Amino acid sequence: MKDQILEIKENAKKEIERTNTLQELNDVRVKFLGKKGELTAVLRGMGALPPEERPAVGTFVNEARDEIENKIALKEKELKESLIAEKLQKEKIDITMPSKKTELGSIHPITGIIDNIKEIFLGLGYEIVDGPEIEKTYYVFDQLNTPIDHPARDLQDTFYINENIVLRSQTSSVQIRTMEAQKPPIKIICPGTVYRSDSVDPTHSPVFHQIEGLVVDKGITMSDLKGTLETFAKRCLGENTEIRFRPHHFPYTEPSAEVDVSCFVCKGKGCRVCKNEGWIELLGCGMVHPKVLENCGIDHNIYSGFAFGFGAERIAMAKYGIDDMRLLYENDVRFLKQF
Amino acid sequence: MKTSVEWLKEYSDINVDVNKLAERLTMTGSKVETIEQKGNNIKNVVVGKILEITKHPDADKLIVTKVDIGEGIIQIVTGAKNVKVGDLVPIAKDGSELPGDIKIKTGMLRGIESCGMMCAVTELGLELSDYPEQIADGIMILPEIYEKYIGKDIVEALNLREDILDFEITSNRPDCFSIEGLGRETAIALGEEFKNPHKNLEKEIETINNLEGLKVDIEAQDLCYRYVARVIKNVKIGPSPEWMKRRLNACGIRAINNIVDITNYVMLELGEPMHAFDINNVKGKHIIVRRAKPNEKITTLDEIERNLDVDNLVIADDEKPVAIAGVMGGLNSGITENTNTVVFEAAVFNRGTVRLTAKKLGLRTESSSRFEKGLSPEIAIRAANRATELAEMIGAGEAVDKQIDIYPKKETKKVIPFEPEKVNALLGMNISKDEMISILEKLEIKVQGDNLEIPYFRVDLEGTADIAEEIIRIHGYNTLNSTLINAESTVGLKTKTQKLQDKIKNLLIEKGFSEMYAFSFIGKKDFEKCKLDSSKAIKITNPLGEEYSLMRTSLMPTIMQSIATNYNKKNKNVALFEIGKIYEDEEENIKKGEIANEQTKVAFAVYGEKADFYIIKGIIENLLEISNISRYQLERENTTNLHPGRSAKILIGKDTIASFGEVHPQVLDNYGINEKVYFGVIDIEKLGKYGKENKKYTPIPKYPAVERDIALVVDEQIEVGQIENIISKKAKNILEKAKLFDIYRSDKLGENKKSVAYELIFRTKDRTLTDDEIKNTMEAITKELQTNLGAELRS
Repeated sequence: MKDQILEIKENAKKEIERTNTLQELNDVRVKFLGKKGELTAVLRGMGALPPEERPAVGTFVNEARDEIENKIALKEKELKESLIAEKLQKEKIDITMPSKKTELGSIHPITGIIDNIKEIFLGLGYEIVDGPEIEKTYYVFDQLNTPIDHPARDLQDTFYINENIVLRSQTSSVQIRTMEAQKPPIKIICPGTVYRSDSVDPTHSPVFHQIEGLVVDKGITMSDLKGTLETFAKRCLGENTEIRFRPHHFPYTEPSAEVDVSCFVCKGKGCRVCKNEGWIELLGCGMVHPKVLENCGIDHNIYSGFAFGFGAERIAMAKYGIDDMRLLYENDVRFLKQF
Repeated sequence: MKTSVEWLKEYSDINVDVNKLAERLTMTGSKVETIEQKGNNIKNVVVGKILEITKHPDADKLIVTKVDIGEGIIQIVTGAKNVKVGDLVPIAKDGSELPGDIKIKTGMLRGIESCGMMCAVTELGLELSDYPEQIADGIMILPEIYEKYIGKDIVEALNLREDILDFEITSNRPDCFSIEGLGRETAIALGEEFKNPHKNLEKEIETINNLEGLKVDIEAQDLCYRYVARVIKNVKIGPSPEWMKRRLNACGIRAINNIVDITNYVMLELGEPMHAFDINNVKGKHIIVRRAKPNEKITTLDEIERNLDVDNLVIADDEKPVAIAGVMGGLNSGITENTNTVVFEAAVFNRGTVRLTAKKLGLRTESSSRFEKGLSPEIAIRAANRATELAEMIGAGEAVDKQIDIYPKKETKKVIPFEPEKVNALLGMNISKDEMISILEKLEIKVQGDNLEIPYFRVDLEGTADIAEEIIRIHGYNTLNSTLINAESTVGLKTKTQKLQDKIKNLLIEKGFSEMYAFSFIGKKDFEKCKLDSSKAIKITNPLGEEYSLMRTSLMPTIMQSIATNYNKKNKNVALFEIGKIYEDEEENIKKGEIANEQTKVAFAVYGEKADFYIIKGIIENLLEISNISRYQLERENTTNLHPGRSAKILIGKDTIASFGEVHPQVLDNYGINEKVYFGVIDIEKLGKYGKENKKYTPIPKYPAVERDIALVVDEQIEVGQIENIISKKAKNILEKAKLFDIYRSDKLGENKKSVAYELIFRTKDRTLTDDEIKNTMEAITKELQTNLGAELRS
């Protein structure tokens, strides 16, 4: 009898192995394990055995049954998986077809530069301050040690609304407003639109953007100014950027300096952007003139400060290699979308 | 200011090349703008002698010459007509270079070999006026004395080599607007001794009131601080010596005659502009320094008649102005060939009056640009003495050994405290007192105990900050330490509006809009194109042109201009936005000297496939959402530049915060745009003002929602907003949402009818709604829609 059971088991295994569909597998199950199945038939025939043999044969049959059932379950899983795989294979799509993304817009290169600079100075603890563009000469000139007979006040350089009101030629007016309104410590940057009477050409624009910075506190030194601008230049233009201070003159700072940075295009070797000098003039700066502090009611014997200012267009043009300033205001999307 | 290095060498040894010199001067504060090396652009050009001339066999206009160039005899074919055998001429040899990057090589001219070129004056980059004996359209013929130079480099033979530096002189350093001042800076920059060859010019001469019949009066003592006059008799007008002409030339000043050249030479050398009169042209021999009379006229040396006013200072005689003080002399009193007696004027005028006069007359001269920086009256005497000395030295005439010197208010010596610790504190440096003293002494600043005595020529030095700059620029700006601020720490944070602006920008970029930049001033035509009123716009009094004369009162003109630019360039599907200011002065504050009203707005415009009213309505709603504004009204817009049926505005209470819609076809027509453009604008400050800052949590609903659909047929002119108003009114507080999901029109519905379908979602936060409640509400809604809007319910 054992031999018969073994044979049934082996046959069942073979037939399970041969099935290709779930239906065939089910047929095999019925054939061997169904009510009229072969193994069931054996169980039924157990009555003919002597009672003492029955438990052992029973166990043997049950083991065979378990084995077949396991085999069927395994096969079933296998068949189902291949069925899914086949289905998925049929559902294949062309992944190289165009996406349904939304077309993104773009940030203007000047905003990009200004935002970058803002981030750097916010990180250094500066506040961002704004002020009026149509400004009193008091804030643009008088308070900045630029008296009435100073050449900077010429009609050739500044747009006048009337004798006392101009389009600000620098954002320094915001510095004065801040110093008049607030006691030190003061640490601000003032980005904004400024105006100078230059005709539109590849390197000039009557409307442009400036970022100025001002720090006033006890014990502020010119070495602090250099350190601050060095930090700024490295973060804005790259870690290998070097800066160079050159003496210069501005009415509202003393000592004053112009600052060059090593050319970020050629790394100082000399190229078209830096006119082969290896340096690019970046900004003007200096220690706040004692008269300016005094004008704003800040005692220059107690406090000192530094100020700096530069043009966003100049940096954007050098950084992106833009050779014509007019592109920045023409707004051709083929230009704008590059940023 | 242009300066020849040769002239600077009178003041300091210069043992470095011109590039190094320029760098050292730049780094100590005298910025060299350009370096010009004259003669460097002429290579391989020599003196040659023509030995033989024959006709060209195949060209009537050419000749074939044999030329001795020292190292041998070469053949040159030329078309020159002014050469003959025996002439000495400049020869550009094979492989030579001429100014303008011209290279000369051996070549064939009509079949005959030509091994170089004979040069004209201009081909050597020289000015014809410097060689009056030469002709313009011929070869330069050198005088016989050049026979000994045959074969010699022309640059050496004609002594053409000259290094010239052009300095940017800042407005605080009038002393550097002179060779003497730059010579001093050169010596300091190079660490050499300053050798001033004209140190002792302050010699004492007798001052009298009547000098050879000449009298001087300063009427306007507030504008003229000093007037020194010297007289030169028995003047022989003629050319100046070569050395003087050459130096003037190098500095960019044309030589005229010995007397005029002396005044210019002294101006360059000492920085004091001078003037020379013919004494016989000064009526009454009386010089008066006074304000011009209204509408007084003078014809200046450039032969232009100038209208003067009381703001202008003049040098006048008894009858008329003879010069505009510090700007330019008059034609009526200038030096002529027949001048016999000359008055040298060395005066110092108020910087402001000279500057304003020069500006007003559009006459900026070498003289005015020096005076407008502000000169010390102390300089006048030195200039007068130097001019007199030069006149005698070059034999221009005989100096009268007396002077007129009107100097009403002698300048006192400026003394400022010497505070080495303060200097170091300001610089963040530790420079020793000894080194400071050594630097100051080189600058001719006298250290006297705790005080510094400032030399007259340093008008810019007023306090310790100025002294700190002097010390650090000589010590070296590159030696400054690099430190970070050691002070109370501060917090850098963006303000609410700044953060909101960032959010707005990011949203619009995600929606496909590109940021644009525009000028804030526009022209009247731009207002008109957008049907805007320009009459109240703020006007610029000195604009670059009419098209840039008015401050914009709307962002529409600039954005439409950029849309038109893109449209004309055939760019498809363009979406732009600008965050910018508009400027208004409704209350006429500017007249009162107050500032105007500036508002920051964001505007956007779009055309192309995906542009329609509801897309920009959605963007406006998104912008309100990110600003945390949820309660607002939508109304029809009634502005002139948007389509009246397809535009809307957003209000909070009575305050309009946004406006948007299809651009009016007439506006599009004005820009030549043949496509629909949609425009929107939002006031950023108002978004910030109305936006709720603190968000609060509302619990997520616990009870289930009940959904009902409703479909109605209404007349076409009924707006969905009307339907929604009724729904929300009747559903009271149990309506969560009314979602429009379908609108359709068909013949079956009938003409002028549309079907509108809504999904209504009901929910309360404290219980489950009963069927009866829903049923009653639906009935109430339906009934109201029927009575008020004539709606028919569709099943």
